[in-house]
Amino acid sequence: MNLFNLGELNWRQTQLIYHALAYKNIEGLVLDSSKNRYVCVSLHQNPRDELDIDYCKKNKIGIFRREIGGGIVLLDNDQIFYNLIINRNHPKVPYAPDNFFRKFLQPVIQTYNELGISVEFRPLCDLIVDGKKISGNGGGEIGECKVLAGSILLDFDYKLMAQLMLLPNGIQKKFLELMQNNLTTVKKELGFIPLKKNICSILATKFENLIGPFTNRRIDSEINKKMIELNKQYSTDNWLYQRGTKQIGKEVKIREGVFLFYNLFNTQKGSVESTFEIKDNKVKKVTFSNSKILSHIAKKKLLDKFVGQKYDKDNLVNEITEWCY
Amino acid sequence: MVLEVKGMKFLLDRKYYIKDGSHIWLKKEGNLVKIGMDAFFARMTNPLTALNVTSKQVKSGEEIGSFESSKFVSKIYSPLSGDIISVNDDILNNPQKINENPYDSWIFVMKPDKNVEEDKYIIEEKDKILKWIKKEIKRFEAGN
Repeated sequence: MNLFNLGELNWRQTQLIYHALAYKNIEGLVLDSSKNRYVCVSLHQNPRDELDIDYCKKNKIGIFRREIGGGIVLLDNDQIFYNLIINRNHPKVPYAPDNFFRKFLQPVIQTYNELGISVEFRPLCDLIVDGKKISGNGGGEIGECKVLAGSILLDFDYKLMAQLMLLPNGIQKKFLELMQNNLTTVKKELGFIPLKKNICSILATKFENLIGPFTNRRIDSEINKKMIELNKQYSTDNWLYQRGTKQIGKEVKIREGVFLFYNLFNTQKGSVESTFEIKDNKVKKVTFSNSKILSHIAKKKLLDKFVGQKYDKDNLVNEITEWCY
Repeated sequence: MVLEVKGMKFLLDRKYYIKDGSHIWLKKEGNLVKIGMDAFFARMTNPLTALNVTSKQVKSGEEIGSFESSKFVSKIYSPLSGDIISVNDDILNNPQKINENPYDSWIFVMKPDKNVEEDKYIIEEKDKILKWIKKEIKRFEAGN
């Protein structure tokens, strides 16, 4: 297995490298950081539905649409990225995604533990410290390989993350508050940031213990050629703004089980904006805008009906739609 | 005719494409073939959060689209060579319908190329399907 311990790269290269390796069927672990901040969406997300594109352009924040799953992530120099690229028929690769994440996130958990941060795995693929997320992950198939991608959060710009999301003002504030309460970093936990090269060294050792010895490798001309080819493809608007799956409303996830569900219900009398705050998959709080459409009594009845109950998006949308008509 | 294994139903009025963990059903309707995902896929991917079909003309075994479940994106490979003549937008927008009712939730319709030999990874008949599905369950339950 190859180890690509690459240090700091240009932002696009941090994404291109693991895509290129997977397409070339070159197995390995990639460790790197981005010199510049950027935002990355998953394969089935359309940046136009999720991001304030103008804000990103004005602030020179690049946008990349990757071929694997997860959600929107703000990536910058205060993170260490790890990408595991492994052939899908490798004997150590679990069949089901849940088991894939559970197995290959163990070295990351062990790395946090060695740094003095007690981290545990929370399905699907979050790493948690005292109920707060400290690492987000995603995965997928590219070419003949399966890929795990995630990051060690050294520090995080919560405000910037909230600003670049395409959300109404009030909800953006709520999103920021939820992130601050449910997302932590190495700096917050330890009070300082250890040297990146030391963290990478621990990560490499822990992955090596799981999947076998590494051989150090750099980006050679063969890999570079593939990265250039993919960069052309991923730079087009056709690729970047490809249609995603259309969903009713918008779920903005902070960590597994904690998110906001926001929807604009169009009625004959006008529209009602509603926001549901979900924690541990239960409705914690509901807010409605435009009181003229929903009477005070109707609002109270809806609140009584939903708050404290298990979150079921379809049921919730159906109930409110019925009330609105 | 239905085959039931561990609470999962496999309809015997259609064929199944099984290459590399694919769980695709194919049902011939005239000179067209309707294509969707089977009950094993529906259970494994619950809930399916995204589904996309990106190609219009494919060769058997080529990538035709993708789906996402558990924050993991997997590819869909075409069981046939031919043209995709229709895509079910309702299912693309509501992929969870596959989890609820896989055999009514067709994804796309293909017009297969003429005079092309059928892929060896397409199976039919109860015994073959049973043998395959038992192997898949074993693989899944092994957690590896």
